[in-house]
Amino acid sequence: MTQASIQQQASDLLSREARYIDRRLWDDWLELFTPDAIFWMPAWKDEQTLTDDPDREVSMIYYQGRVRLGERVWRARSGLSVASQPLQRTMHTVSNIIVDRHDDEAVHVGANWSCHVYEPRTKAQHVFFGYYDYVLAGTPEGVKIASKKVTLLNDHLPLTVDFYSI
Amino acid sequence: MPLIEIDTAAAVARVHRRIFSDPAIFELEMRYLFEGGWVFLGLENQIPHAHDYMLTHIGRHEILLMRDRDGRIGAFYNTCPHRGAQICNLRSGNARMHVCPYHSWSFDSSGQNTSIKGKAKGGYTEAFLAQNHDLHPIARLESYRGILFGSLVSDVPGLIDYLGEAARMIDLSLEQGEGGIELLPGSITYTYRANWKLQLENSSDGYHVTSTHPTYLRISADRAKENMHSEGVTGLWERTKVIAEEHSEGSLGGAYGFDNGHAVVWGQMPITPAHPLYERRAELEERLGTARTQWLFNAHNLTIFPNVQFAENFANILRVIRPISPGLTEMKTYCMAPIGESPEARRQRLRQFEDFFNPSGLATPDDIVAYEGCQLEHILGGEQGWLQGYQRGLALLHKGPDETAIAIGVAPAYSVTGDTQLSDETGFLSHYRAWNQRLGEAVERLLETERRQEVAA
Repeated sequence: MTQASIQQQASDLLSREARYIDRRLWDDWLELFTPDAIFWMPAWKDEQTLTDDPDREVSMIYYQGRVRLGERVWRARSGLSVASQPLQRTMHTVSNIIVDRHDDEAVHVGANWSCHVYEPRTKAQHVFFGYYDYVLAGTPEGVKIASKKVTLLNDHLPLTVDFYSI
Repeated sequence: MPLIEIDTAAAVARVHRRIFSDPAIFELEMRYLFEGGWVFLGLENQIPHAHDYMLTHIGRHEILLMRDRDGRIGAFYNTCPHRGAQICNLRSGNARMHVCPYHSWSFDSSGQNTSIKGKAKGGYTEAFLAQNHDLHPIARLESYRGILFGSLVSDVPGLIDYLGEAARMIDLSLEQGEGGIELLPGSITYTYRANWKLQLENSSDGYHVTSTHPTYLRISADRAKENMHSEGVTGLWERTKVIAEEHSEGSLGGAYGFDNGHAVVWGQMPITPAHPLYERRAELEERLGTARTQWLFNAHNLTIFPNVQFAENFANILRVIRPISPGLTEMKTYCMAPIGESPEARRQRLRQFEDFFNPSGLATPDDIVAYEGCQLEHILGGEQGWLQGYQRGLALLHKGPDETAIAIGVAPAYSVTGDTQLSDETGFLSHYRAWNQRLGEAVERLLETERRQEVAA
């Protein structure tokens, strides 16, 4: 594949991921991940430094396995979580998508993201924002997300956060 | 008539909603609790080396904690005595000298002023030169076994007396690691739109768990069923079935109240591989004996009134409450762990901590939203403003320790004991007794003023 087409493919995947999250096509969203995908949002150690070792330092979310994300999807839909009812309305924009490097195995992609959140319960609005770093891998079913690292830049949380608002 | 009535002999325990919403009450809480007595500051091992510093809060004041070149820790208001600029605006670091960014007055790591820019040519009077130009220290700073507490007023009992028997609960926590405890790198801070006492109560509230966190319990149970050993996320809350059932047998639980507002709520838990301490159960048993080892595997939440909570189950959290306004509270959270844990146990601990305690996790968001819902109608006045949620377990209240407390060497002022279905509400009584002791008179004066104004109008 050409550089341009790798770039286009990555861009399409990231855009589609955002759409699936926002439009609550969450089963499709889960399918974008490989079964053993890593989903990681580090915590901040100080004003400038993220935690970088999830085995020894706190993360905001650290999952190994798509099934963990599936648990959150279930929780959001269950009607048993007061934080998830009513659900926040979200709108992600993903931009500045750059393929950092690629080989036959994987494509490393970095991007910027922001997520506008409207909280119907309180009428509050907020924007979360930061960086995404992905590792995309080819599978028989197409290119999928093997790893997604979410850097949340405004980590002082004024309202609840879940997989759909980051 | 006060806003909090506790008379256990008469089986009266009630709280008026107004304490959660009234700005005048909030001001009294600032004056008499947060800025009027001991509050938690941090751990000594957060600033282990000479010249290490960190910022924290006492009430509305930002406090600079520093370790000087001789290793002594001091606590100062983070403000320049010159014209009030913020001395330090990084949360933590190491500095032999702090130079005020506004006019360069300099202070060493013991808070002493070391230079005033252009002093010789400054036309200063004798009176100025005689003034103390050091950073303002807080009134009292003491450490209990490496845990730092500070007070902005000097007229307080010694920390040991303030902690009282609750210090035994701290001892038990510290004993889980032979080398003590540490706070893991990475902390998460969040705000919720409700009063600080909703968080104060929540940690002493077992009753809410099956109602507020059924999704967390169900996810944990499903993982246990599937024997999900990946990343050590094994059966959390393996007794969730027991907790959820109406009738549980043989699993104890209850609460302990201590003087000065401290309280513990606890529930017996099995000693299982789901717990990060499991790998060291033999070592713990030998060092601490059976009763205290079992205690470490139990779920237990300790609140040291008014601002710090140690919640321990399959992971431990140290969380600090900072009230900002009657309807806004900031929480700062740390993962607390025994020093010297194996990498596997540490990994397991982190995953469990993140799942349960993080505001980005599967449980805390539901607490937050519950608080915010309560806050909406905490403006309800009059007779209807009295809340009913402080009476569960009153019939079982008895003075002194229960068997479990005796076995672990703690003598609380009162105990309530039952099975894990008890989930009593007596822990709150300890907090609110202290509240009444410390600001009851001031509240009464406030109410009296209001009554007189009403009559006059």
